[in-house]
Amino acid sequence: MGNYYSDVEGGKQAVGGVQQSPTATNNNNAGHNDAVEFFYRSRGLHQRFARVELSLSAINLRDRDIISKSDPMAVVYAKNIDGKLEELGRTEVILNSLNPTWIEKVTVAFQFEIVQPLVFHVYDVDTKFHNIPLKTLKLKDQDFLGEATCVLSEVLTKQNRSLTLNLRSKIGHVGLRNLGVLTIHAEETVALRRVVEMMLHCSYLDNKDIFSKSDPFLRISRIMESGGSIPICKTEVVNNNLNPKWKPLCLSVQQFGSKDNPLIIECFDFNSSGKHSLIGKLQKSVADLEKLQEGRSGENLTITSHHGHKKVLKGELFVDQFCEKEQYSFLDYVSCGFELNFLDYVSCGFELNFMVAVDFTASNGNPQNPDSLHYIDPSGQLNSYQKAIMEVGEVIQFYDSDRRYPAWGFGGKTFDGTISHCFNLNGSAGSFEVEGVEGNMSAYASALHNVTLAGPTLFGQVIKTAAQIASQYVSYNSKKYFILLIITDGVLTDLQETKDALVKASDLPLSILIVGVRGADFGQMEVLDADKGQRLESSTDRVATRDIVQFVPM
Amino acid sequence: MFSMASSTLEITVISGEDIRNNRKPVKKNAFAVIRTDSQPLCRTEMDKDGGSYPYWNEKHNVEIPQLARFITVEVQCKTSAGDKTLGMARIPVSDFVGGFVPQSYLHFLSYRLRNSNGERNGIINVSVKAKVPEYAASSCSSTATTIGVPFGKTPCYGGVVPGVPVGAPIMKQYYQG
Repeated sequence: MGNYYSDVEGGKQAVGGVQQSPTATNNNNAGHNDAVEFFYRSRGLHQRFARVELSLSAINLRDRDIISKSDPMAVVYAKNIDGKLEELGRTEVILNSLNPTWIEKVTVAFQFEIVQPLVFHVYDVDTKFHNIPLKTLKLKDQDFLGEATCVLSEVLTKQNRSLTLNLRSKIGHVGLRNLGVLTIHAEETVALRRVVEMMLHCSYLDNKDIFSKSDPFLRISRIMESGGSIPICKTEVVNNNLNPKWKPLCLSVQQFGSKDNPLIIECFDFNSSGKHSLIGKLQKSVADLEKLQEGRSGENLTITSHHGHKKVLKGELFVDQFCEKEQYSFLDYVSCGFELNFLDYVSCGFELNFMVAVDFTASNGNPQNPDSLHYIDPSGQLNSYQKAIMEVGEVIQFYDSDRRYPAWGFGGKTFDGTISHCFNLNGSAGSFEVEGVEGNMSAYASALHNVTLAGPTLFGQVIKTAAQIASQYVSYNSKKYFILLIITDGVLTDLQETKDALVKASDLPLSILIVGVRGADFGQMEVLDADKGQRLESSTDRVATRDIVQFVPM
Repeated sequence: MFSMASSTLEITVISGEDIRNNRKPVKKNAFAVIRTDSQPLCRTEMDKDGGSYPYWNEKHNVEIPQLARFITVEVQCKTSAGDKTLGMARIPVSDFVGGFVPQSYLHFLSYRLRNSNGERNGIINVSVKAKVPEYAASSCSSTATTIGVPFGKTPCYGGVVPGVPVGAPIMKQYYQG
């Protein structure tokens, strides 16, 4: 039974782009595929598969909702030899549309030697999907709109790599005909990591609403060689504003191709009916946008009238900030030499589990002071510790099914007046877990109120606790691999104690990622990182079995 | 033949790194000897080509006395004057016993070798696994054997335990549940 009203708030969220809040993002195994791909690359093995991204769109879907239209979402499955379906990923939900073009792509590993049957299901999403991780949406609660099947190689061998299929009812059900068509477009992806972060705003936009102002959002699409365009992201909606300023947008090279590829930027007025009014558009490459930022100038939007006449509008787009950077994937850094590579564990089906430790030493500066590394900015700008926690959270959500993970602080004076080198960030005596990034962030914020920064900077206790957890899980015979993230500003006080703890932990399923904030002297960290081939030695002549530490300056 | 108070270990002597004879890299024919303080346990074959990075990868089952606290690994080579020890390392039994990992965990361990002058001389890589005893095959005559004691439930923390199944390695964490 269809819904009376669609979930408008859900439809206003930003989609696409690279950095998303964990609840809105839906990244479909991309993290796992990164890990597997890196595994092959790091061994110099010939890649026996190519990573392919599927973009989906549909036309003439059946209308299931009463007052508004269907809110469709597509789910992609691989069909195993025994006929069972295994979900590969799902798109986002599009509001009120019978002709959706989904932005969220589904990543599939195309293996040359085998036949890969794919099954696509389209659903009309009934339940509220605002702030719910899309992958937890129960499909049986949604209305089924149609199914299509094909083999992956069919899509790749078609001209334009696009395959259009008729949607039908599930096999065995007597159903309606004419459920619409689904188009699948495939593109091979390259695991590049350069990203571009921009802050955009518009001024003097036309008013498309009658009783209030426009609610503008931007949609950025990439132009294909065939002439069509594929949306790569959209910003969030700014309500009631003709001079909107959007949150920073992050695009990866994967998404826009090269900096010279032309992109279409469309500015729409959001309508809860799903039929958004185009305010204006322009065509710019990423390089052009960079020039706009440098010149601090704007570019006028245009609109094409019915007669095909292109009218230049008063509305302009400005690029306030433009920044190109390497986006670090933490998985790239958790690589080890010697006997056991953590990816050996992942490829054998080990589950990744994260642990976080935050530096509460006085060298960070008094948290009340805006210069402090622990300063919580009321405007919402994240400090380095918060950024690191967010980025870890994005990776964790792909791997850690229950989203609960241990979080500690070290080097601070806790409520009872003693300095602890491993205290529970959530302030609890019994449990060290936080729930998701939100839990981690709020535990961090409240710890800043309850803990006095002290010192010295010692990692040994945290490493020992992490090693203890990792070895306990070994005994439960569960396949878990642990990654401890230590976020610190600084200079280690007892390098040898840290080395001893690391050496002792070096043959456990554990990797340690040290994220260094601010530009402190990280010479010691580089010693621990042992990338120059010097294995760490303990004070008792034991040598590390493998290099379990990676150091990443933030 | 089982002795009353010993534990069985499966030791794989894997390889050595940067081992020198009088500061010059070893040319060939290095081998490793494993022993406790009192008796030899096993030795590997000579690595004919390995030079100063010998590779043996030989698995040996050895028994160590239950009270032993170290096992010693020596890398030696043949000289005209007999077998010469190039480097030695002492492996504390506590490095593969105790802690929270299960008794049968395969530990990969590496140690700094030191020559007779105490100078650093390369690294030795081994793996060690404590063998769970096979009660059915046990040929001991102790009446203290209790077959079927659920591991981890006996409330004893370290030290010698009367009534412990014969041949079972006395591993502290074994009893910590």
